[in-house]
Amino acid sequence: MDPIRIDPRRAMEEATKFNQKLIAGLKTLRTLDDVEYGTTDREEIYREDKLVLYRFKGVNKPTSKVPLLIVYALVNRPYMVDLQDDRSLVKHLLALGEDVYIIDWGYPDQSDRYLTLDDYINGYIKRCVDVVAKRHKVEKINLLGICQGGSFSLCFASIYPQKVEHLIAMVTPVDFHTKDNMLSHWTRGIDVDLFVDTLGNVPADLMNWCYLTLKPMRLFQQKYIGLVDILDDKVELENFLRMEKWIFDSPDQAGEAFRQFIKDFYQGNKLIEGGLRIGDKDVDLKNITMPVLNIFAEQDQLVPPSASRPLQKVIGTDDYTELAFKGGHIGIYVSGRAQREVPSAIHDWLGKR
Amino acid sequence: MNGTKSPQDWMNDWQQLQSQYWNAWSDATRGTVQPPAASTPWQEGLEQWSKMFGGVSKQNDIAERLMSSAKNYVAVMQSMLSAATGKMPTGFAVPNWSDALRNGFNMPGMDAAFRNNPFAKIFGEMRGPNVQGFGNLSENFAPFLNQMKQEGLSWLHAPAFGFAREHQEQYQKMAAAFIELQEAIGKYNAIMLKSSQRSFEIFESKLGEHDEPGRQIDSMRALYDLWIDAAEEAYAEIALSDEFRKVYGDVVNSQMRVRQHIQQQVEKMGSDFGMPTRTELNSVHKRLHELRREVRNGRSAETSKEIEELREEVRELKRSMAERNKPAPASIEKRARPPRAAAAARVAKPVERIQATRSQKKRPNRTKVAKRRPAAERAKPRSASIHAPLSFAEAIKAMRRTVENKTAKRKKSAAAMMSVAVKTSHVIKRKRRNRARSR
Repeated sequence: MDPIRIDPRRAMEEATKFNQKLIAGLKTLRTLDDVEYGTTDREEIYREDKLVLYRFKGVNKPTSKVPLLIVYALVNRPYMVDLQDDRSLVKHLLALGEDVYIIDWGYPDQSDRYLTLDDYINGYIKRCVDVVAKRHKVEKINLLGICQGGSFSLCFASIYPQKVEHLIAMVTPVDFHTKDNMLSHWTRGIDVDLFVDTLGNVPADLMNWCYLTLKPMRLFQQKYIGLVDILDDKVELENFLRMEKWIFDSPDQAGEAFRQFIKDFYQGNKLIEGGLRIGDKDVDLKNITMPVLNIFAEQDQLVPPSASRPLQKVIGTDDYTELAFKGGHIGIYVSGRAQREVPSAIHDWLGKR
Repeated sequence: MNGTKSPQDWMNDWQQLQSQYWNAWSDATRGTVQPPAASTPWQEGLEQWSKMFGGVSKQNDIAERLMSSAKNYVAVMQSMLSAATGKMPTGFAVPNWSDALRNGFNMPGMDAAFRNNPFAKIFGEMRGPNVQGFGNLSENFAPFLNQMKQEGLSWLHAPAFGFAREHQEQYQKMAAAFIELQEAIGKYNAIMLKSSQRSFEIFESKLGEHDEPGRQIDSMRALYDLWIDAAEEAYAEIALSDEFRKVYGDVVNSQMRVRQHIQQQVEKMGSDFGMPTRTELNSVHKRLHELRREVRNGRSAETSKEIEELREEVRELKRSMAERNKPAPASIEKRARPPRAAAAARVAKPVERIQATRSQKKRPNRTKVAKRRPAAERAKPRSASIHAPLSFAEAIKAMRRTVENKTAKRKKSAAAMMSVAVKTSHVIKRKRRNRARSR
């Protein structure tokens, strides 16, 4: 039997409807202004170079005694955790009584080209942790690292275990050499010294191109055909645009930090295999003796679960919890399921310790 | 679809459907696009429409991406629908859906390199302000490269000599790097072609999974989605291979070499025109960064130690002040003891010395006053700034006040002396005038 049973007349109707929606939608699209994002009120706590440390303000006062600092990746903007009112990890954490801080790395320019991982981890993150701890008169705070920020948080917690009460790693790569890690596979053929020496900072548009080519047909074709279905729904369209803005709102990467991250993490896999040094400090994940919650996304193509899961075997604590989220790298922050499951899982886990 | 159609019937049906499409298109655009010949590729309508209405807006990027995807989609729809219309007529075999799909991507007028290679085509379309691939640079210089190739590559390896030797060598290296890049991109496109071919195979195999009743595909969109699944699967197979890693790495590395050569030429020109160069700026940024790190590290090591020492001194001072302020019997003998502040001053550093000096100066007065004041009043500290426990910031303020007071006193005495001097000179002048008058 022929697997395709398309009635030409129905197919023609389908094509006609598609065109009608497309034309009407494009007209609407051109009239729309920039979308707003980041709805939760926040205050600036600390500023250094292009970095700003913010504290989010909830409706009620936080009930948690230990503040939670979110360390986001360098490769995208941190407002993903507070994208809009009904898609905000931060808002839900605040509602549950957490006291939430976040590091905004800003947009590095050529003057930041020589920033190293030492500057980021032993410098910026350490000083932000100290500022938050001092404000709350505590010695340790809770750390929530996301993606590359998760890898940074692992390094930090390993170097300064005395400063971290609980560690939460979200979609965090630990083993960079798993077979399904496309990004890692590609980087191993690149001469990163030549790359950084030539480009200086790594341009955001090159990074975006690289991410799109992980799933080119889905991300550059199917996604936009799917968009036609929601072009007549203003709310859905704005949600799409907000997400689209986040995807392409990428900062350039400081050259030296990028060089080291690719060499030591992607190419050398030193985070898990050992031998990683950040500045003059050794990173040994066995030093991570505080409770650890590892959250990863089952359909994540950027950081496959196989890259996150090995964390359990290499850290020095028995108090390890794993949460496998049914979704992708971005859905883990913004999907309806994420709103229901992720903040409460974090809050409950913290509450039990 | 009744299985009795002749090829002529199929042709007529297809012609009719195409006319129907263009009429519907004309209606959708409210007549702004007149229906063209029925056989016109469907994506042409979108092309024309976007040219007419593609104005500037905040969402231009999205609109462009949307149109680019839509053109591919309608082209595939047209090709697949053509195959579906001719399905099962007498004398026709079951259509080759993969061929129909492949034809959908082979749009008229497109670059021959993209033929039967939807991956390379899609990658070629991945452009925009926020998306820039590796191939763009090579394309920009393609005419130059082609000309160079036509002239023959032998001169690239010819030895350079004479006055312009260095320049010639640079140009040769740059040209060689360009050739290397173009070759690398050629290999990349070839591996993408392999990926495209594999995607059609996987598509066929996936179609095979739908040949049971109830699982058949009955919409264009479902067919398109199936193709996307197949394409991604094929791409993942190739992209995770060692061959791809090598090809990908070669594209990136060769492009970087080309960029470096271009940068060197631009630097040379910039330098000739007296403009600051990237190398110079990098050098400044590097020095600045090292300096910043040095200052920051210095602050965290030496300065922190110094601050800690100062804090310890302040704590000591507070302790001594607190002990001194303990309520005590108002006996003159007891007050006549050497003051604790003075004792503290023996080990004190500048901040404490100032405090101690103050206390010493005031002590005799306080002793005198104490003789006349009632006991309750005597128990109270005379001055909060001296007797209350001080914070570090307050101690610093106290230091500043002392320095300011001293400066003010010095100024005052200088002013007084000046005033005396002026007055004296006036008196002398007056006396001289009087003497002169009396003479």
